[in-house]
Amino acid sequence: MSNILSVLIFFPLIAGVFGFFVNKNSIRVYGIVVAAAEFLLSLWLWMSFDTTDAGMQFVEKISLIPEFGISYYLGVDGISLFIVILSTLMTLLGIVALSIKEDLKNMIITLLFLEVAMIGVFVSLDVILFYIFWEFSLVPMLYIIGAWGGPKKLYAAIKFFIYTFAGSLVMLVGILYLAYIYHATTGVWSFSLTDWYGLLLPTDVQTILFWAFFLGFAIKVPMFPFHTWLPYAHGQAPTVGSVILAAVLLKMGSYGFVRFSLPLFPDASVAFILPIAILAIIMIIYTAMVAYAQKDMKQVIAYSSISHMGVIILGTFAMNVEGISGSIFQMLSHGIVSGALFMLVGVIYDRRHTKLMSEFGGLAKVMPTYATIFVVMTMASVGLPLTIGFIGEYLSLAGFFKVSPIMTILAGTSIIVGAVYMLSVVKKSFFGPLANPENEKLKDLDSKELWALVPLVAIVIWLGVYPKPVLEPIDNSTKALVQLMHKKAQTDKAKKIILVSKDAKEAK
Amino acid sequence: MTIGLTHYLVLSAILFAVGLAGVLRRKNLLMLFFATEIMLNAANIAFAAISTHIGDLSGQMFALFIIAIAASEVAVGLGLLILIYKKYGTLDLDNLSIMKG
Amino acid sequence: MENLVYIALFAPLVSSLFAALFAQKPKIQLVGIVTSILIGISLLASVTLLLDIHESGKAVSVTLMDWIQAGDMDIKFGFTVDQVTAVMMSVVTLVSTVVHVYSNYYMESDKSFNRFFSYLSAFVFSMMVLVMSDNFLGLFIGWEGVGVCSWLLIGFWYERKDETRDVNPSISPSWAANEAFIMNRIADLGMLVGIFMIYWNLGTVKYSEVFAHLDQLSHGMLVGIGIALFIGAMGKSAQFPLHTWLADAMEGPTPVSALIHAATMVTAGVYLVIRANPLYSQIPEVGYFIAVVGTFVAIFAASMALVNRDLKRVIAYSTLSQLGYMFAAAGLGAYWVALFHLAAHAFFKALLFIGAGNVMHAMHDELDMFKMGGLKKQMGWTFFYMGLASLALSGIYPLAGFFSKDTILEVAFNEHTYGIWFTLWLTAGLTAFYSFRQVFLVFFGDERYHEIGAHPHEAKAYALWAMAPLAILAVIFGFYKEDFVEFVTKLLPAYEMSEHTHHMVWILTLVTTAIALTGIIVAFIKYSKGLKRDLNFEQNNKLYKLLYNQYYIPVLYEKAFAKPYKELSDIAWQEIDMQVVDATVDGIAKAVETTGDVSRRAQNGNLSTYLKWMAAGLIFVTLITVISVVIK
Repeated sequence: MSNILSVLIFFPLIAGVFGFFVNKNSIRVYGIVVAAAEFLLSLWLWMSFDTTDAGMQFVEKISLIPEFGISYYLGVDGISLFIVILSTLMTLLGIVALSIKEDLKNMIITLLFLEVAMIGVFVSLDVILFYIFWEFSLVPMLYIIGAWGGPKKLYAAIKFFIYTFAGSLVMLVGILYLAYIYHATTGVWSFSLTDWYGLLLPTDVQTILFWAFFLGFAIKVPMFPFHTWLPYAHGQAPTVGSVILAAVLLKMGSYGFVRFSLPLFPDASVAFILPIAILAIIMIIYTAMVAYAQKDMKQVIAYSSISHMGVIILGTFAMNVEGISGSIFQMLSHGIVSGALFMLVGVIYDRRHTKLMSEFGGLAKVMPTYATIFVVMTMASVGLPLTIGFIGEYLSLAGFFKVSPIMTILAGTSIIVGAVYMLSVVKKSFFGPLANPENEKLKDLDSKELWALVPLVAIVIWLGVYPKPVLEPIDNSTKALVQLMHKKAQTDKAKKIILVSKDAKEAK
Repeated sequence: MTIGLTHYLVLSAILFAVGLAGVLRRKNLLMLFFATEIMLNAANIAFAAISTHIGDLSGQMFALFIIAIAASEVAVGLGLLILIYKKYGTLDLDNLSIMKG
Repeated sequence: MENLVYIALFAPLVSSLFAALFAQKPKIQLVGIVTSILIGISLLASVTLLLDIHESGKAVSVTLMDWIQAGDMDIKFGFTVDQVTAVMMSVVTLVSTVVHVYSNYYMESDKSFNRFFSYLSAFVFSMMVLVMSDNFLGLFIGWEGVGVCSWLLIGFWYERKDETRDVNPSISPSWAANEAFIMNRIADLGMLVGIFMIYWNLGTVKYSEVFAHLDQLSHGMLVGIGIALFIGAMGKSAQFPLHTWLADAMEGPTPVSALIHAATMVTAGVYLVIRANPLYSQIPEVGYFIAVVGTFVAIFAASMALVNRDLKRVIAYSTLSQLGYMFAAAGLGAYWVALFHLAAHAFFKALLFIGAGNVMHAMHDELDMFKMGGLKKQMGWTFFYMGLASLALSGIYPLAGFFSKDTILEVAFNEHTYGIWFTLWLTAGLTAFYSFRQVFLVFFGDERYHEIGAHPHEAKAYALWAMAPLAILAVIFGFYKEDFVEFVTKLLPAYEMSEHTHHMVWILTLVTTAIALTGIIVAFIKYSKGLKRDLNFEQNNKLYKLLYNQYYIPVLYEKAFAKPYKELSDIAWQEIDMQVVDATVDGIAKAVETTGDVSRRAQNGNLSTYLKWMAAGLIFVTLITVISVVIK
């Protein structure tokens, strides 16, 4: 099955269209079956993935508009492989845990379409194709927030859409300009990313393009100060929307940095380490403080997402294999953990129809399993060793330490401030006396919720103890990426800062 | 003094200006129609004159086209005017402002 | 041999997972028994390893599997059992076994009995990882692991509500747990930074490779690493200024205090300094700094213990003070002395705490010593144990504390750091005083417990038997000093006293014993006949109030850090995030909307206006065309 990537993209699309004809009562089962099949397909992709090969695999290329070099060009490497699996997994678990009653059919179909877009973004190697999927992913999310959201859903949905869309348009201009330069240099049109990798750009052009792409990615991540759409989107979105948004959609931004900004503009990336690191540190500390001030449980998790994304950005701009591998691993880790945390908030919201922590307190007594899973995820979120959260955070910070020890110490406060807001959530919600009589009769997790959450707990522990199966392919591809960057780097500063790993050097 | 191209073009310009002034000043829709007809005819004169001057027939052809189109336009336009008059009881432009943004 | 390493390491994990299976069920006695046996197995394995290493003199190393491999970083789960590790393992598992058995008694009527054993065993596992790892990151796993277990266990009675500081100085178990976790995290950052420095300069974090290549590093770098690692140690071992969590940690069940907050976890910092001795030997100035901090904490904590009325808090401060002694020794380069005091302290301090647990049970969880008294009659054995432990803590011959503490004082004298010596000497007197103040207040004098309606009773026999090993070790451990020195100095640098000190030893011993005895006698005179309170003194004496309120440091931290952080967070959210950042975004959207709104008015629906606009536009375009033609 060499066209597995096309199957991964088109299977949910076709299944989604078919979903319109499925009976209302069986749509839930239909959704789970489709998502599970898709997940198994992505696992199959992993099984047949050659972990020793650092380059693109399962490549498909069909020319669409040869005049402009636009083609249907797919491929996957260690960097994108696991984000694809994360997308299919979170879609599956999101559908399993769905507690929405009204318009369930539309919701499931929307989720399947969203899955198409997410996978498309991560496997596209043609930039136009990438851009199409990138924008397409906004639509289902807009619908999910706008149709099933809370009281301010329209404001949140439109803010989310316009904000991210505005950023992407700037990126589109960058894409077109880059394609124009490619044409001017080589004489042929091409939008293929692998062709673009070979392009050596003068540093001033790199700078312009770097910031054009930056705007698109930074709003998606979201980086400070472009982050304010996120709390609204999370605050208003239904549980499944928040889960997918936090777990996968935010990763599109950080993935963009790794896939586009670093290899295409290595000199500019190195030149702007300082401002980006400062933004990342502000993200880490400032949003952690904002998270601590929240009264709504879900908002805490939303702001914590931004804080964690700061660590990812920092690791990405470490310009060495440790940092970049760590940041990619942290993307997965954050996807799993924040996805699980949003699901957990959804659990209590379904029961109490409020997310205000002042309404809770002492929940550990009535919902022990729920509290246990929450604490496990809290610990993963604060980066406890032997949970998934530690490895990415540790590697990202370790990587950036090489660039700037002082800034790493500042960023490292994330392990302190992270503990402050997460533990205060745990204390306010789960500990203390059971003061509110409305909480006395709450039911613990039911089987549906357990089915969604237990796999995540298992992954959190498994990848925390034995990350090798995932980290190794990531590391291989990252080594190749860093080597490419080093080769392309023109300024002395970039040559010095981009650090090729030792064994890659020896292999050369 | 022979009548040359310039005279025709001056006449055309004067007619056009008269038409434009009518368009800008008159408030009655019917009058506006007349004014636009004057402008069209101003254009026709210019076309015909230049066509003769260059010795290319396409200008005169265009003039004929314009006459034909103006005729059909008047037919449709007058029909619409009658309907508007029936509906609103007036043809005064200042009172017809339902397309307000 | 390798199997023994795995047994010692994983028996506690199995134990924890086994108990976790029943965590939500009501009490099952079997859980307590099985976990105790499994920890006992770990103890047997540890002791066997200790004896074996004693015989062969060779360390046992195993590598379990790969952990993190990225770039040039290659970190494995590797474990080494050498002399220091073997001693630590034996001490940890011994105290753990005793505490597990004892907890069967102490927690017998707690509804979360099974959950308790799950946490307790998980702690033992983490602690074993901490001491057995052969690299800094492995140590960090254990380091954080014990932190979490400590968090879980301090907050074990999570359902209790927050009180004000006047009612309960620790506010609530869950509050104390969070405080402990967060404060430890502050220190952990230092440790992490130390690990980063080691990695980027040496390319490895494995002890053996790191210590072998220390000479490649500049002196400044060594100092940096030394300080960063010591910051980590300060958190875990509750050294000033990160000390407040330890006293508040007494909110946990008493067996937890005995195991975690006295005998094992808090000594992790000392262990780290001992383990990194090749590093600290090269940077004596940092070592001296460590010794000064340790000495300061010794007297600082002892002073707070002088006036406290809370049974457990007094012991907690004494733990803090003794940790200061250990750091003083380690900082001065006498690593084996620190390790010796660590082991001896573990035995008698755990004994003391468990005794306190018996008293608490008898007094229905009342902790105020002023409400006790005369318990000697009902609780003879507990009195015996606690008295013995207090004697050991005071450093009275021939108990373990005498040998270890005396050696520390000798070291301080030998290094010509007379200030440190004098402070530690003074602290020895204070230690004796507050230890026996406690003993006399609890067991002697008038029976004040009638006022609170308590009916004291002695603990169950098996609980008392469980304490016996600790008591025996507290008595005899000192006599094994020579063997101990010979054993651990195969790995640790030997510490030789100068000729001059050798001559002075008996004078030093005499002086130290004298001040300890003086402390005991003062306590005897003041408290053995019953409690005579001087309320005027308690309320008006500034020094008393200062000490009683822990130098107002918790309040200061609250005011200087916790509250401003909360306020700043609120400002960050409401003033900055909402009013500035988000308002800017909305402002841009508003600007677009306003522009649209203003230009909308041009669309007034009046055709004649449109026509005017049209004509204007036409003229404008014509003008532009004409001008551009003319210019050309």
